[in-house]
Parts: sequence; structure tokens; C-alpha cells
Amino acid sequence: MLTAIVLSMLALAPIGLLARYAPRPLIGWVLGLLPLAAFVGFAVRAPVVLAGSVLIETLPWVPEMGLNLRFSLDGLSLLFALLVSGIGTLIFIYTAYYLAGDPGMGRFYVYLAIFMGSMLGVVLADNVLLLFMFWELTSVSSYLLVGYKHDYADARRGAQMGLLLTVGGGLALLVGLVLLSNAAGSFEISEIIGAGEELRASPFYTPALLLIFLGCFTKSAQFPFHIWLPNAMQAPTPASAYLHSATMVKAGVYLLARLHPALSETPLWTYTLTVVGATTMLVGAAVALRKDDIKGLLAYSTVSLLGTMVLMAGIGGHDAPVALVTLILAHALYKGALFMLAGAVDHEAGTRKLSELGGLSREMPRTLVLTSLAALSAAGIPPLFGFVAKEELLHAVTHSELTPGAGLVVVGAVVVAAVLGILYAWRLVSGIFFGPAAPRKKDHVHEAPLGMLVAPGVLALLSVGLPLGLLPMTSALLEPAVMAITGHAEEVSLHLMPSALSLPVVLSLFAIGSGAALTRFAGQIGAMPSPLPAWLNGDRIYDAAINGLLSSTTAFTRAVQNGRLRNYILYSLLALLAVILTPLALFALGSAPAPDLSNITLPEIVTALLIPFAVLATIRARSRLGAILVAGVVGAMVSFMFVIYSGPDLALTQLLVEVITTIFFLLVFAILPASFERLSKPATRARDGVVALAIGATMAAFTWIASSTTVFPPISAVFKAEALAEGKGENVVNVILVDFRGFDTMGEITVLFIALLGIYAMLRLRPESDPAIADMRGKTTPDAVALGRRGRREMGVAGRDGHDIGQDTVGEPATTAIRSQDAREEI
Amino acid sequence: MTFVLSLVVGTLFAGAAYLMLRRSVVKLILGMALLSHGTNLLLFLMGDGVVKGMPPFVDEATGVTPTAAADPLNQALILTAIVINFGFTAFILALAYRANQAVGSDDLDDMVETDRL
Repeated sequence: MLTAIVLSMLALAPIGLLARYAPRPLIGWVLGLLPLAAFVGFAVRAPVVLAGSVLIETLPWVPEMGLNLRFSLDGLSLLFALLVSGIGTLIFIYTAYYLAGDPGMGRFYVYLAIFMGSMLGVVLADNVLLLFMFWELTSVSSYLLVGYKHDYADARRGAQMGLLLTVGGGLALLVGLVLLSNAAGSFEISEIIGAGEELRASPFYTPALLLIFLGCFTKSAQFPFHIWLPNAMQAPTPASAYLHSATMVKAGVYLLARLHPALSETPLWTYTLTVVGATTMLVGAAVALRKDDIKGLLAYSTVSLLGTMVLMAGIGGHDAPVALVTLILAHALYKGALFMLAGAVDHEAGTRKLSELGGLSREMPRTLVLTSLAALSAAGIPPLFGFVAKEELLHAVTHSELTPGAGLVVVGAVVVAAVLGILYAWRLVSGIFFGPAAPRKKDHVHEAPLGMLVAPGVLALLSVGLPLGLLPMTSALLEPAVMAITGHAEEVSLHLMPSALSLPVVLSLFAIGSGAALTRFAGQIGAMPSPLPAWLNGDRIYDAAINGLLSSTTAFTRAVQNGRLRNYILYSLLALLAVILTPLALFALGSAPAPDLSNITLPEIVTALLIPFAVLATIRARSRLGAILVAGVVGAMVSFMFVIYSGPDLALTQLLVEVITTIFFLLVFAILPASFERLSKPATRARDGVVALAIGATMAAFTWIASSTTVFPPISAVFKAEALAEGKGENVVNVILVDFRGFDTMGEITVLFIALLGIYAMLRLRPESDPAIADMRGKTTPDAVALGRRGRREMGVAGRDGHDIGQDTVGEPATTAIRSQDAREEI
Repeated sequence: MTFVLSLVVGTLFAGAAYLMLRRSVVKLILGMALLSHGTNLLLFLMGDGVVKGMPPFVDEATGVTPTAAADPLNQALILTAIVINFGFTAFILALAYRANQAVGSDDLDDMVETDRL
């Protein structure tokens, strides 16, 4: 059933496209049935889970890899699943009003549904590979949601930043999870959690934990990776309200909570999470106070809250897990509502800047009431649910397992963050609804449509309703979630009114009092100039990193793929060198047999000596004809070797081919000037010489070692034995070619034929009739270039004539040039 | 003798590498010709070992190929290689001819336009 819910959310996502054809606000209610069905599906299972059982479903997928469709529903999963599907339902309804005039609404619903399915997958998966898959799927679908308005560069940048950071962290997470699974001997999360003792003693513990932290911190926007979250505010508000308050950003927190029983209670866990969480909490709260954009303010307050949650996952102690789940629930309720209400204000007033808003209380009274409720909950004012959560939070930090000094610092940080929280909540409400009215962006600002207020209304009222009468039920919901985090049964009893005047209560009262006293200065505090230098800005550092990456890869590609064939050949040769030389040097060079120089006859040695000389002469030749002829000498010598070493067919063919090739060469290069120009610099020639010598030495060693090694017995004995009987021929080589390997010869003929076709096409196509070449001519006027070049070369040749040109030089340069013109005309 | 022939193979590869790294199309093609000679010789040495004066023919008197005769298999492979290489060289010569017509130069660096980033 769990499998069915998750997979059907993904499979049914395309029905969102129906939004294009349906009456607008209504379609939201219809499509909202999809998440509602999931919500009901989880709700009916809730009693079993709340009673303490864990539902597990396993469906083998790729069992060889340890990848199974294995889902489990325990208290923690249930809490998240209800939040994801419940808030999802409200978001689906809200979207229909928010995007009422948008033609792409159907697409948006598809992304939302994919996101919801993958988020449910993350919180239900009981297999680390499956979890990772859904984890990445949330990153990808969030990329699509944030970049929904892809006409805007900011939206594209925000989407890209979120994707790069979360997917980059996701890769680290994958490695961490695999290390963890190897140490635990299983990919199933429930078994990993059971192997806590082993894991903490394993040498993989530290690397695995750090990598998992990296994945969780990037996903849950912890400092310094938090920068993607404010930039993701380019998303349409329903996506922000869903992803960036209640669901996706909590995936990291969820995973920390999920792995808490197995990995926690080591100094590495405790202090990493405490430091990162507390820093994020303070940075987020401080920046939120200074934001002018209301969605930016909410984004940074979310960053701050996510830091608080990570802190709760880290500090240890009996009360921290309770505070963690309470915060998760409270934050999802009020922050989801605030985002949707901010969207309503933006929708009606046409701006999200506090400096352009103000005095909207008359036009938007209902929005004011709901926003105030949610903001009071965010500020932790009684009797709202945020207050209950803040009480638990203060209780947890005053009863942590940190050293007393560190504990004191954390308590101070939490109180400061609480004061800042009150200030930015105040700034949000007063800035939008009270104070002097800024000039309106729209002429007739009026209340948002009722349908748009339904979803935030439900969440805001839950923030009121949960403490007033529903606390026992909430406690019952949170108890199994806490049990999943601590690994043993816990009793949770939330209460609105503290029974005694304990330290947490005093701190809470102090925070509320000082917050209230400071509200009058909230504006001034927000307007203070930033104490940080301008370069110390996450956005700037990110942009510099991306630009640096792009320019360095471009420069690298330009350097490597620069259009110069000889460079490509150089890389190929160096690669060949590395591939052959490495195993040769490592394994084979020691086993090389001693050279046997007996039984060498004069013809052999003469032939063998002539080849290097001819090769050298080919390289050194200054004239084309000379080079072609001495290269022909090499071919002739090779065929002579075939004569000596019992290969008459080879010798014959080689000689024939050599003659024809040389004639071809001469025909073709009749049109070129007679001599080569020194094109490369001496340094380049020296470098190429070194590479060539290295290649030669390597190939010589390779040939020598390989020819004296026999790994498998040769199969040629069979050909020798069967040539006459099977092939009816006495020349074994010929029998092989026309009989045993006849199809190969067939292929060879085909290749020749294709080459012939190509040659024919190239020689028959007139340059003038080919538009591509005509275009090329027009652009570079190669005729003029060529003439200039020839002139230059001829002068160079004439200058060197006296001392450099040997007997190979043919004709006079001027006549060659004329001849080449003639040759061109003829063809 | 195999040792000396290995050195010859090395020489051919060295010369081929050097020529292929030059800017002139002609030198590139000559380099590839040397490369194919080197490769053919290398293949030739990979058989049963070099044999002098005993080609792989069936002995007319006995009707049997002597086991000491040269290895016929790599000879057949080299024969194929020679012919294929011939087709390849002819093709690339025509290409060079054509490129010279279009670009007016045999300097490969004048032909980088189509391949530039």
C-alpha cells in the first residue's frame, strides 16, 4: 500500500496537464484529491503506527545490487508523510488561485505531483539506495519548480544554484550511505539503525558521517550552503510554500533524525551539528531581519529554523528529540501559512517589498488576521503552537548533553535567535499591514479571493487549534516520531502552560519581553549597514566559482580541442605511450629475453639497416619528390623482408601497392610546390623528436617482448593441415584469404569500393558547383592567400637554394606554380 | 634476428610519429604510410617466429604443409592490411588534393576552421 501510494503519485503526475482544459479555480480542488487520497491513506494507517508498530513493505527490484522497493511507515515517517500529503493538498488548492491566469499551470501541477511523490519516497524509503534515488528526484523536481518562470534569468539562476548545491551534496550523501551500508552489511535502513554499536566503532564512521552531513547540510540549507534557499524564492509562491518551508528543506533534517539512533552520541556528531546548526540559526535570523523582500525574509527565517532543527538533532539529551519534532510540526504549519499569505499579498498588491507595502490592514483584513496568527506562532507567543515548540526548545537546550560551557553558549544563541524571531515577525506584519501606506503598485488593491485564503487559513488555524484542546492528540502523534529518533519508547506530553517557573520559562519570558521592547527599533536594526565586507557574500562567491569553472573549462577545451590535427595526434600518441609503457615497465621489461643475434645473413642485415636510413631520409627531405621516393624505398625494403622471411604473396602485393601509391603521390602533388617549408619552430621539432623516439623505443621493446611470448598456442597449424583437404589449394595463405576467411576478403573488397566511390566523388565535384566550398572561398579568398603563400615559399626556397637543396629538388619554383595552375584546369 | 626486426619496427614507428606531428599534409600521409609498414612488420613478428626460405605451401611430394613452414595466418592478415591501407592512402591523397584546391595550402593549420570551438 505504501509502495502504491508513492508510485501512484509519480505515475499520476501527468493528469496535472488537465488543468489546461478545466475551469480554473475548480481544477485545484479536483487535483487536490490526489494528495488528499494519499493523506487519507496515511491517516487510516496512523492508529496502527501510533500504537507502536512499524509497517514494512518489500518488493524486490534489483536485489543483486541490494536495491529493493522497501518502504516502512513508523512514527517519524508518518509525521512527515502526513505533512507532505496534507500540506500538499492545501498547496494544490492554493495553486489554482495563485496561478489563475497562467497558461503553464498544468505543467506546474505535474512538477508538484512529481515532487510530492518523491518527497513521500524519501520519508518512507527503508533502503538507502531507494532513499537516495528519491532524494535526487526531489532535487530535480525542485529545479523544475524553481525554474518554472524560465523566461527570467533570476529564476534560471536560482534553479541552477539549488540544483548544483543539492545534487552536489547528494553525491557526497550517496558515497556516505554506501560506506555506511558496507560497514553495517545491509542497505536496509532498519538494519543499519540496528547496527549502531558496530557503526560507531567502524573505521568508516568518520568519513561516512561527514559525507552524509554534507548531503544533509546542502539539502537543509545549512550555513554556508544556505544561499540557494533565498535564491530559490524565484519559484512561484506555492512551490516556495511547499518545498521551502514544509518539505524538501526538511529532508536533511529528516535523514539526521532517521540515522540518529545509529550514529549519534559521539563528539563528532554532537559538536558538528551544534556548531553548524547554531551558526545557521543566528545567521538566518540576523539576515531575515534585514530583508526587504517578504519572501526573502521568510526564506532566511526558514534557514534560521532549519539551523535550530539541526541543533536539536545534535545537542543530545532527553528533550531534544521532542523539541525537534514539535518544531518540525509547528514550523510547517506557520511557515507554510506565511508563505501562502505573502503570495496573496504579492498577488493583490503587486509587490513583495516591505518598502513598497504598508497600511494594507484596511484593504486586506482577513489576510491581516491570518498573517498575524501565523506570525505570532512564529514569534513563539502564547497561546499559539509556536510557543509550545519554543518552550520545548528552551527546555531541550537547558537540559542538553553538551559541556556546561558549550551549553551556555547554545542557550544564549537560542535566546538571541528567539528575540530576533520576534523582531522579524513584527517587521513582517507591521511592514505589510500597518504604518504609512506606500504608493500602491496597483490601483485597486483589495482582499485576496476566499479560495486563496482557505489553505493558509487551515494552517494558521491549526497553529491556534493544536494548543487549544488538541494537545493530547498532538502528543500522541509526536510520541512514536520521538521514539524513532531516540530508538526507545518515550513519553511525550506537550502542555501549553508551564507547571512551574523553571529556567526555560524565565528565558522564554525574557525573550518575549526584550523582543517586545525592541520592536520599535526593528526598522532601525534592519536598516543598519552590513558589518561584513562586500566580497564575503555567498552569492558573489557562488557566481565567481561558477564563472571560474566555466571560463577554465572553456580555456581547457580551447587548449585541447584547438582544431590543430597535430595536437590531437600528439595526445593520441602520448596516450598510446602511457597505455603500452605502463604495463610494459611494470610487468614485462624484467622478463625480456636476451637478444639472439646468431644466424643472421648479409641480405637481412642490409635490408634491416636500409630501413632506418630511408626513414631518416624521409624525415629530413627538403623536397616533396625526394620524400615520396625515399618513403617508397622503405616500402620496397619491407617487401624485400617479406621475400627473405617466406612471405612471397606479401612481398608481391606490397611491391605492387608501393609502386601504385608512389605514382598516386606524384600525380596528386604535381600541383604543389616542390619543396617543404619549415613550418614548425625548433622547439616544437625537438619536442616531437623526443615523443617520436619514446614511441619508437616503446614499440621496439613491445615488439621484442611480445614476439618472444606465447600465451595461447597458435591456430595456424589447423590452416596448414586443412588447406589442401578443405580448401583444395596448395598456397595456404591464399586458401585462408579466399576460403577460410572469405568473408573478411569480401569486406576488404567492400572497403576498397567505398574508398573508390569517395575518391571519385571528391575528384568529380567541381569546387565552383559546391556552395559550401564557394562560400569558404568567398570568406577567406584562399586563392589570394595561396598565391601569397606560394610567393613566400618560392622566395624562401630560392634563398636556401645555395646551401640546402640537394639533388632531389625538381624544376624551378616558378614553373611549378604555373604547372599547378594548369593541373587545376585539367581536372 | 627477431631482435633486430623489433628495432626496425621501433624505427618505423618513431619516424611515423615524427612525420604525423608535422603541419604538412604530405608529411602526415607519409607518416601514416610508415606507420602501416611498422604495423605490418609488427604483425609479421607475432606469428610462429620468422622462418627463412620456407613459405607456407603444401609440399607437392607429400601433400602436407611442413610444420616448420612460415605462419600463414598472420600473412593472410597482413595481406588484408596492405590492401586496406592502399585504399585508405588513395582516399586520403584525393582528400589532400581536394583540400589543396579549396584552401590553397598543404599546411594543416590553415584547415582548422571546421573544427574550432
